Amino acid sequence: MGSNDSLLNMASLIDDRVGDGVFRVRKEIYTDPALYDREIKRLFEGGWIFLCHESQIRAAGDYFTTHAGRQPVFVLRQDDGSLRAFLNVCPHRGSILLPLRQGKIQGSINCRFHGWAFGPGGECEGITFERAGGYPGGQADKRHFDLTPLARLESYRGFVFGSLAPVSESLADFLGSTRPFIDLFVDQSPQGIEVLRGASTYVCHHNWKMQVENVPDGYHVPTVHRTFGTTMAKRQLRPGYEGLLQTETGRISGNVKNGCYDLGRGHMLLWADRATPEAAPLYPSTAEIEKNFSAEKALWMLRRGRNLMVFPNLVLNDLASTHLRTHRPLGPDRTEVTVMCIAPVGESREARYARLRKFEDFFLLTGMATSDDLVSLNIVHEGALAEARPWIDFQRGIATMKPGADEAARQLGVVPDSHNTSWTHETPYHGLYRHWLRSLSAEA
Amino acid sequence: MDMHLEHEVARLFSLEAHFLDRKQWKDWLNLYLEDAEFWAPAWAGEEELTNDPWNELSLIYLRGRGGLEDRVSRIEARDSLASVPLDRTAHLVSNALVHATLQDGSIEASSSWITHVYGVRGTATLGGYSDYTLRRTDGQLRIAKKRVVMINDRLEIPVDIYHL
Repeated sequence: MGSNDSLLNMASLIDDRVGDGVFRVRKEIYTDPALYDREIKRLFEGGWIFLCHESQIRAAGDYFTTHAGRQPVFVLRQDDGSLRAFLNVCPHRGSILLPLRQGKIQGSINCRFHGWAFGPGGECEGITFERAGGYPGGQADKRHFDLTPLARLESYRGFVFGSLAPVSESLADFLGSTRPFIDLFVDQSPQGIEVLRGASTYVCHHNWKMQVENVPDGYHVPTVHRTFGTTMAKRQLRPGYEGLLQTETGRISGNVKNGCYDLGRGHMLLWADRATPEAAPLYPSTAEIEKNFSAEKALWMLRRGRNLMVFPNLVLNDLASTHLRTHRPLGPDRTEVTVMCIAPVGESREARYARLRKFEDFFLLTGMATSDDLVSLNIVHEGALAEARPWIDFQRGIATMKPGADEAARQLGVVPDSHNTSWTHETPYHGLYRHWLRSLSAEA
Repeated sequence: MDMHLEHEVARLFSLEAHFLDRKQWKDWLNLYLEDAEFWAPAWAGEEELTNDPWNELSLIYLRGRGGLEDRVSRIEARDSLASVPLDRTAHLVSNALVHATLQDGSIEASSSWITHVYGVRGTATLGGYSDYTLRRTDGQLRIAKKRVVMINDRLEIPVDIYHL
């Protein structure tokens, strides 16, 4: 199927016949350049995406640069504490304005190409040699050269989202049922959570949706991370790996209660009860959390690990450690991933130490698990090029999937589109690809 | 300047590279003391490294040689997608310098390194510099502490202890 055919026959890419026991997707969805181009325009440049966390831009003048799809953008803390976000591009000749991933402006933003100056609110304040510039009427129209703001910018409990396009949907509606799960992170400290200093960025040789699919995928864990589990089990026999420094090998072998949710509009969740809750970095806060929250919510926070996909580009993971991951598509077969450690503000030194070590053991390309994930997804992408077998089936769990909430979801007051009884099931992808198809097929 | 010591330190660095390139894991581990610390800080920004493993992210932070032994046993298990097949590496270690001999006899030294990596997951040139604390036991210099800075921080291949 060629590129134009893919766009003309979008509906033929997703074979959605759950009643007949079939849900499958064409491999072109991972490889087709025309589909990729539409994904960028519709999903990353045409709607809400995650930009950064407020702890990365605490003080007035602090900025964070990132991308909305292909377009460079930045978020800037204003003098009054509010946030503004703009294209990170000079309206004059298009040069990139702010050079660092994270930095601070001194009063104004100065273009490094011709020296034009912009206020923190985006207003063009100075045009180099303006009077000698031969502008119509002897003066440039500065309002014409104000920075280009993002159409939408809003935070939910410290997580900053924006949209280049003026979508009418509120952030609350966009986040939908992911909000109670985001709360499970933020409420871990009365002072909220923070992104710790230091990040890791890596480039994957696979389609960005494979990063998305990885989030509620517990099925690969006992295979891809078997060697991690074995290594950790062996390590735990040595002194120095007791208490918070234990790793939850029970979870890796899959011997705990678990499940998965299709949360609607591409959002998904995987959960698994902790085999050893006393190994979780949050465990020392048990009494405080049980006092401040309902028994059901405290159970979710302390005794149940979670991996949350906020579609299209935010991953929040609270398993052995806690991480925030975001991805940026670079091409149909290239994806840039950045991973950071998030932690409750003010946690004990021992808890912080354990959280960091467990993060480094698992979640980095220099670690012992994410490195294996990267390679597993790279070889899945290679396999996506084998069109002689053109379909990928998401069939596991199709007979046990049920609409609405299970007991665990009811404890949080969440009503997923569907739930399933095992994290090895593939039914959350049904909602993911229905949303994907709707977003890409709708009239622009 | 103690030329003999400088030579001995340079030889230790070369040996480490030699053992890693030839995948002689046990010989490599034997260069480290039982209580050795192995630390690869992460980058906090374009120009800044993290410097507090208790509060900030590192790429690798292992206390005790056991942490390195874990890595070796994962490699030897032949069950890690990122480690089968293993990458081929060529380490070049240079600029070996001895900076100080401390009161307790331990030695502070540094080097610069480049590792050329070739493998099914891609080709890469990694590089950086390392700070070492060395101690003499049974007449042989061994590594008590290694802080390895990798200047690459947008990786395209998994990086394990044998790449550094």
